Amino acid sequence: MFLIDELIALLAANLILSQALGTSTMFIAADSKKNMLATSCVITVFTTLSSAAAYFIDSILPSSVSELRLLLYTAVIGVLYIIMLTASYFVGKNWFADFRKYIHVSAFNCAVMGTLFTISGRAAENSSAFDLGWYISSGFEAGIGFIVAALILAAAYRKLNSAKVPASFRGFPAMLVYLGIISMAVYSLK
Amino acid sequence: MNNNKKQLLGGILGDNIVLSGLMVISPVIICGDTLKNAEALVYAFTAITFLSVIISSFVPRKLPYTVKVILYALISALVFIPVELATQEFFPGVIQRIGIYFPLLAVNSLIVFQTEAKFFRMKRLDMIISLVFCIIGFDAVMLITGVLRELFAYGTINNRIVDINTLISGLSQPFGGFVFLGLMCGAYRFIRGLVSKNNEVRSNADVSDR
Repeated sequence: MFLIDELIALLAANLILSQALGTSTMFIAADSKKNMLATSCVITVFTTLSSAAAYFIDSILPSSVSELRLLLYTAVIGVLYIIMLTASYFVGKNWFADFRKYIHVSAFNCAVMGTLFTISGRAAENSSAFDLGWYISSGFEAGIGFIVAALILAAAYRKLNSAKVPASFRGFPAMLVYLGIISMAVYSLK
Repeated sequence: MNNNKKQLLGGILGDNIVLSGLMVISPVIICGDTLKNAEALVYAFTAITFLSVIISSFVPRKLPYTVKVILYALISALVFIPVELATQEFFPGVIQRIGIYFPLLAVNSLIVFQTEAKFFRMKRLDMIISLVFCIIGFDAVMLITGVLRELFAYGTINNRIVDINTLISGLSQPFGGFVFLGLMCGAYRFIRGLVSKNNEVRSNADVSDR
């Protein structure tokens, strides 16, 4: 029962299905299961680590200069982007050649930035949530939500791209309608 | 239309960034449920994207790709500051209406990735024309989505009641946005297919008297 409750909570708070954040990125990665899984995992790393950094930014940034939040978040993601590329380079050249495209796709997109703003907004509404652990777990949860949504899309990807679907709707349009139906199901769980 | 013209003007119909490229779709899905929201997004997207791409075009080409992408994102985040301040001053309700999707427009793929892949391979004047048409393409989709979803979800247009029999309240929800955009993409592809087929038939037609 606990697991079902957690799964429902994860789906209901899913960034893609409830806020459409990172949908374009997921579609870019949708052409193979490997791409989708790798992109989702890299996005999870980005959301988790950048959420930790967002906590420190939110705790030192006065509300009078909140316009700077986007700039600081962008700078943090930029630094993480370089660190991830450097780390994958030192892991191995083959690994770097294979993996860097996922880092490029995952760094600057709505999934990562949207997660930071969503977490920051929730923390501003509820001061008891303003805690480093909560930020990190929320960032991680958002990444897992992305993986779940990617798996849901991967399950139907072939059929949505098959010749049985009318040519005009084959691929992206059918995927959008499919995500809409899943999103409707998730909406009913709330 | 020759290839060069197609590349410059294609942003509206031939290669629409939302319907064909599936870029910047989150705000369309979530915030595009009323005309007021659509207008707010059109204003924010136009201002941020146009200024960011123009300023980013001065970033040296020789820098490594990663550094350039980070610089584009930072420039765009910097452009966001005066745009947000101007918005607070002149359109006070806008930020509240579109929430987190306002800053997210600053990291849209058109600025961060398309600049490098498309715009900066053009001459400056061509780049500006192409950029303007891409922005108009987004604005058109946003406004059409805003009008149609508001009409069928709430029975109003710009908060004015319209006499309409069928209301689909789900269209105001995110899932309604997904489905609506999917249908719009399909319709767009269908029309584009018809147009390109017609052009092909015309160009292949033998018009000589022999």
